[in-house]
Amino acid sequence: MSLVSLVKIKSETEIKKGIQEALDLIQYSWSTSIENVVIKPNLCYYWDYTTGQTTDPRFIAKLIELIREKVSPNVNISIVESDASAMICKYAFRMLGYEKLAEKYNVKLVNLSEESCNPVQVTVREKVFRFMVPKIILEADLKINVPKIKYTMRGIELTCALKNIYGCNPYPKKFKYHGILAETIVALNKIMRFDLCIIDGYIVSGIHPRKLGLVMAGQDPVAIDAAAAEIAGLNPKKIKYLQLAEKEGIGRISYIPRGVPRNYFKSRYPRKDFKKKLMGKAYAALILTGLGGKLGLQ
Amino acid sequence: MKKISLGIIGLGYVGQIHLRHAQRLANTRVIAVADLSKKALKKAKNSGIKNTFTSYEEMLKLPELDAVIIALPTHLHLKCARDAAEAKKHIFLEKPMARNTQEAKEILSIVQKNNIKLMMGYPLRFNQQFQTLKKKIYDGTLGDIEIAIANYISSGPFFHRAEAHAPMPVPEWWFNKELTGGGALIDLGSHIINLLRWYFGEITDVKSHLGYRFNMPFEDKAVCVAKFENDTTAIINVGWFLQGYQLKIELIGTVNHTTVQHKPSNPISTVIQMLATGTSQFYHAHKAELQYFVNCLIKDKQPTPTGEDGLKDLEAIEKAYKNQISLN
Repeated sequence: MSLVSLVKIKSETEIKKGIQEALDLIQYSWSTSIENVVIKPNLCYYWDYTTGQTTDPRFIAKLIELIREKVSPNVNISIVESDASAMICKYAFRMLGYEKLAEKYNVKLVNLSEESCNPVQVTVREKVFRFMVPKIILEADLKINVPKIKYTMRGIELTCALKNIYGCNPYPKKFKYHGILAETIVALNKIMRFDLCIIDGYIVSGIHPRKLGLVMAGQDPVAIDAAAAEIAGLNPKKIKYLQLAEKEGIGRISYIPRGVPRNYFKSRYPRKDFKKKLMGKAYAALILTGLGGKLGLQ
Repeated sequence: MKKISLGIIGLGYVGQIHLRHAQRLANTRVIAVADLSKKALKKAKNSGIKNTFTSYEEMLKLPELDAVIIALPTHLHLKCARDAAEAKKHIFLEKPMARNTQEAKEILSIVQKNNIKLMMGYPLRFNQQFQTLKKKIYDGTLGDIEIAIANYISSGPFFHRAEAHAPMPVPEWWFNKELTGGGALIDLGSHIINLLRWYFGEITDVKSHLGYRFNMPFEDKAVCVAKFENDTTAIINVGWFLQGYQLKIELIGTVNHTTVQHKPSNPISTVIQMLATGTSQFYHAHKAELQYFVNCLIKDKQPTPTGEDGLKDLEAIEKAYKNQISLN
């Protein structure tokens, strides 16, 4: 079973220490032969990091410092994201503080939608997917996934490590995959395997933002998502894309936790209550019945 | 009974709201819409609009068209208003009037030359809560208003479009200051400045402190201090940085003080209101201002807020941009 570490930090000054501790708990060791590192934060729309919806650039800054200390000061680091249905990457990088970060730390910001790619075919549950995979990801020596823990749309319920790789698909109009989201997430994770997941849970969104002070690390994205689901009050065994990911051999839902007991974070995570769940179902019903369109909902 | 034939130019976020309301107004027929988006035009056609155009210039050729609602990006206001005025169509123009006072003056001049009516879209003047506040100011209930504090803070153009069923990108013109004329101050500040001018008269002086949290060339925060001709001092806070929505006016007079906050109803009430009336309480003022515009056209009355109001609002905004206070 995979190891998943959970570490508590009290303030942003402890981020670097927290990341190192989380990595120590999963017995991760840095290879000094690494030359090219890709970091995939979760940028979503133009939501500020204070909302808990997007990876905090301060968290990425401390991760960069740590990589340069442990691997080499000269390692090439690229922060990658792609255009999405409702987000233009160049504006997101700027508005969310990543341009400033790149300038300060001399790292590259890469819009995957503008990168050269290789076509790759993958099958999930007998469905054949064809994606363009950015070469920068295929050729990186170390790929680090730095997602958030969030509730998300119907049928998926949770966004964390596996869903963050959805953003590595350079095709901008990702909305077209929403009907087969579970399969798409799993397909993308089959062709783009990241080496390390470090969860920025310093601020989480939940039903409202909260400073949770969580740093979580692991090498198995399925195990990471299972732990994230439990913290968010969800049963990972009931989450369709996690079951599918396990079936497709990406990782395992069962894991060995290390560090702070997950109940500490679970009791503090701003979880969905009955009213919110009911509102979510009502909204879904409005959309599905077509009444939403008449009321001006898209 | 006379009916006004209306056309809508621009079916973006606000244009769609106007279309929904205009179709439910008394004495009004929405006979045409124009937009570059074929999807938006198809939606309008499905809602019963007979004439749809990808070129508003073509729409303006309809002889039966009396008036148009212009709900286009700000940089297109001048050209579109000119074309509409020269086609002798009355105009309901979304705020801000233009990107700057020079363009606004040109619009005014064209409107006067063509002898058509121009009304600026400032729905706060048609909101019952803010109308009640005006009555309180004038009936002396609050005494002389010494201080007004106005907050209009939201996520501006970056509102939760991604949460919609079909995620919509923020139209790219919003990211270009050359096209918008500015940021939160011209976008949301124009609403507040127009409302406070309605309450207290002209602005005699104004200073601003601008913020740039999102590292863009336009401000996403503005704190302004304005002095009005009646001696009221106003603190105007506007911003695009809040995920939620706050529109609040607090008046502190020599006799009493009061606060008014404009809030959306709860989702269940909103759905019921939408089904019953085609609008929600939150957007009721948008419908009321359109009905007033149509009524003015029928009675051959000049509607307010006028183009002169739109220009004065922009003059105050330009002054605020010029008189910036830096805080270290």
